[in-house]
Order: sequence, then structure tokens, then C-alpha cells
Amino acid sequence: MGHEASLFTQFLNHLFHIHLHDNVVMGSVAFTIGFIIFIVLSKSPELIPDPVQLVYEGVIKSIEAMLEDNIGKEGKEFLPFVTALAIYIFLSNVLGLIPGFSSATANLNSTAALAVIVFIYYNYIGFKKHGIKYIKHFMGPVWWLAPLMFPIEIISHLARPFSLAIRLFANMFGDHSVFLVFLGLIPFFLPLPFIALGLFVCFIQTLIFVMLTIVYLAGAVAEEH
Amino acid sequence: MRKFISLAIIAAAIVFAANPAMAAEGAETVAKAPWGSVAAGISLAFAAAFGALGQGKAIVAACEGIARNPGATGNIRTTLLIGLAFIESLVLYVFVIAFLIK
Repeated sequence: MGHEASLFTQFLNHLFHIHLHDNVVMGSVAFTIGFIIFIVLSKSPELIPDPVQLVYEGVIKSIEAMLEDNIGKEGKEFLPFVTALAIYIFLSNVLGLIPGFSSATANLNSTAALAVIVFIYYNYIGFKKHGIKYIKHFMGPVWWLAPLMFPIEIISHLARPFSLAIRLFANMFGDHSVFLVFLGLIPFFLPLPFIALGLFVCFIQTLIFVMLTIVYLAGAVAEEH
Repeated sequence: MRKFISLAIIAAAIVFAANPAMAAEGAETVAKAPWGSVAAGISLAFAAAFGALGQGKAIVAACEGIARNPGATGNIRTTLLIGLAFIESLVLYVFVIAFLIK
């Protein structure tokens, strides 16, 4: 699906005489913006919060609430990973709405990378917590059902990063395509509701990705009865 | 009725009788039917239709829930949006495949 690179990456490629891909440049921009906003510009929290601090608190508190709802007490140790994931995905998605930029997540490679990271991370957490008995998660409820359950569980676990990657990619790419089609059809300011829809979809898709990550982590950390 | 049947037979004879004449012209360039695009279009139509049906049922349930218990509107709205996104993602899988087999 060879679309032309965004204006920003074309500009950078001409400026430095390099050939970087669209999603690489845009992913770096999203990471840099997130880094600057959430690490460089964050001050120590004061008792009476100003509006900027409220934004930070809102983001972190809501993710912490989701973690505690799904995982329980030990959810807090996953807070840095999940928050970083959420911020990166949201910024990547939203950058695509600005003309001249494009979404890093509108490329299957970026979303597949994120999905693989989530997959490796929750399996790693499962092994770290349960040791080798993590394999018992794949066995099913009773031991004599294990040869049947094991392939089914493996396939369903392998389908998870696939569905994560394709869901995020298809939402961003499809949104962008529809917007381009309508931009060609009707003039000027009329495609503006599509940008509002795009913003809404960006937010929802971040939420879905993060929530699924949390659910997979909960499944990996779950105690067998 | 009899006139209509005889007219139909004559029209069919004309249509099917002209074919040997076209075949005798030599190298005829038959355009390859674009089955990829046809499949993409039909599959997307199905996906959109059933996806819309499923999302409709979800919205109906959400509306009834809010009507019965307006205090739980926040929770119901969140659940509704998450459910809609999941159903929509199935339609989008079809969209991606349709793009691939275009």
C-alpha cells in the first residue's frame, strides 16, 4: 500500500539527504513530544494543582484505576509500561490528524511492533511471577484435557498480537483513507466532521489497546484456584 | 403472452447467433474480469451490513440500560463505546483484506 510519505518526512529527507520511512520519522516525533511533555516539563506535584498537573494526574490516575480494576493490588507495577504505551499510541494517532504529518500507527509495521512488545511483555511477566508453572495456564481446567487445550490456547494467544496490530492499523489507515476520499469529493471546510471523528477514533483505539493489554496482563498474573 | 414469448426467443437467437461471428474475427482481446475488486466490494458490503446490525443491537441495549437506570449512564456509555470499537474492528479486518486483494 505505497502511499506517498507525509510532507514532514519529505522535508526532513530532503534536508538531511536521508531516506527514512514515514512511520519511523513520525514515531520518533511522537516519542519526542511525549518525552518533552511528560518528562522534561513535569514539575514536582503541588498541593493545589494547576491545570497542567491535572492533565498528568488525569491520565495516570485513570490508567491506574483500570489496572486496579482488572488486576488488583499488584497492578501498580505495570503502571509505567502501560502509561508509556498509552501516551505513545495516543500521540502517534493524533499526529496524523495534522496536515503535513501522518500517523505512525497508520503503518502495519509500527502497530505490529507494539503488539509484539505487549505479547513478549505479558508472557515475560507470567514467567516471572509463576516460574515454569506458567505453562499450566495453557493446560485448561483438568489435566486430561491438556492435549486438546494446549493447541487451542496457543492459537488463541498467538491471535492476540495479530488482532491488536491489525485493529489499530486498520482503524488509523481506514480513517485516513476515508478522510482523503471525502477531501477529494467535497470542498474545503466540509470534511471537518471527519477530523472530529478521527480524533474520537484515535482516543477510543488507544483506550482499547491499553485495556486489552491490561486484560492480557491480568490473565498472565492470575492465580489458579 | 404468446407474443412476448416469441419476441424473447427471437431476441435470444439474435444475441447467441452473433457470437460465432465475433469469434471468427481472430485474436480477440478479452479483458480479464477484475475478480479481486469484485470480491473486495462484495465482502465489504457484507461486513458493513452485519457490523451495522451488531452495533445497532449494542446501542439498543445501551439505550434501554440508560433509560432504566439514568444514574449508571457513565458506566453504560463507556461499555457501549468499548463494545462498538470491538465490533468495528471486525469490520476493519475485512477492510484490510479487501485492500490486499484489490
